[in-house]
Amino acid sequence: MVAEEGTELLPKLGVGIGWRSEIDLTVERLPGVDFVEVVAENIHIGHLPESVALLRERGVPILPHAVSLSLGGAEEVDAQRVRHLAEVAEALDAPLVSDHVCFVRAGGLDSGHLMPVPRTRDALAVLVANVKAAQQDLPVPLALENVAALLEWPDGELTEGQFLAELVSQTDCYLLVDVANLYANARNLGTDPDRFLDEIPLERLAYVHVAGGVEHGELYHDTHAHAVRQEVLDLLDELCSRVAPPGVLLERDDNYPSDTEIATELAAIRAVVEKHQ
Amino acid sequence: MTEARDRLAAAQAELLRALLADGPIPSGFDEKRIVAERRALLAKRRGVVAMLGPEVAGDLGDRFRPLFDEYAVAHPRAAGSRMREDAAAFAQWARDRGELTPLQPQRKHWWRRTR
Repeated sequence: MVAEEGTELLPKLGVGIGWRSEIDLTVERLPGVDFVEVVAENIHIGHLPESVALLRERGVPILPHAVSLSLGGAEEVDAQRVRHLAEVAEALDAPLVSDHVCFVRAGGLDSGHLMPVPRTRDALAVLVANVKAAQQDLPVPLALENVAALLEWPDGELTEGQFLAELVSQTDCYLLVDVANLYANARNLGTDPDRFLDEIPLERLAYVHVAGGVEHGELYHDTHAHAVRQEVLDLLDELCSRVAPPGVLLERDDNYPSDTEIATELAAIRAVVEKHQ
Repeated sequence: MTEARDRLAAAQAELLRALLADGPIPSGFDEKRIVAERRALLAKRRGVVAMLGPEVAGDLGDRFRPLFDEYAVAHPRAAGSRMREDAAAFAQWARDRGELTPLQPQRKHWWRRTR
């Protein structure tokens, strides 16, 4: 992990799973968990969950994943939230941290969700300024994730891939590509996944998210509470045919299945990754 | 940059008011998608509140969902508030309307005195 801005070498992570307190024992005993992610906002410095401490002792990399910086929001970045993420990174000795290309709060309201930002030059300029401000106070590189959206802002000036490419070139951030979110946007908004993968700088890929979802009517909902679809694994396959991702992580946040089912999903992910090695 | 922030702030605030507080649908958005997003955000918030306060959701039974949805639109979450505060505020709101039994002062049992 060396020096010069924007040229840090990211570690090879392997295949991982999102650590959640509800599946802490599962995560501990599953074979083939090379790294985990924790939701940064759920971690209290000085009171690490026992299971997280155990994984850390084992030398499993633990990546803090933030959901509340609202970097795509119009407001200035909340320094306290950035500080917390920085402290979690230090407490876990994490090689990098992440959040999303989204806004969470606006006009005094909290959406409770990762909302898409308009793909305009205005919104990009604000996002870039916010990301740079956050980077100044973070001890490790920041990776930013594409979100799943149910609605499209009007008057977009850039494709999602172009928007992310501009973001990377102006901030030197890394990308966390969620192929389930890409699938959701392809289904719900008509995003072209091939074009997306063509347009983003794959050399800045930190790792990949995979998750499950469900269809309600004509929309696909990225729930993290259902099985991973073959179409999502196919997108992972497409991504792996272009670049070897440093890591791929399964996110499951609700409606937890048996250990066996989780292990099967992890094995399916590993099979896709290893097919291209 | 200030101008870009101001324009973005107005647009994002307008969208969240439409999604969370039954505000007018901003121009250029697909109405059906706004409705779908409203439902999705509401369901997520309702799910978290049910998880944080299972006894309240349990006491209300079938009434939980319509009551929560009514509460939620009238009380969109303030930026910076916590979900636990939301769950507590909903329980209080339901109690104030007589939908939940009022909280009884806790009786002190001998086996709890040492806690």
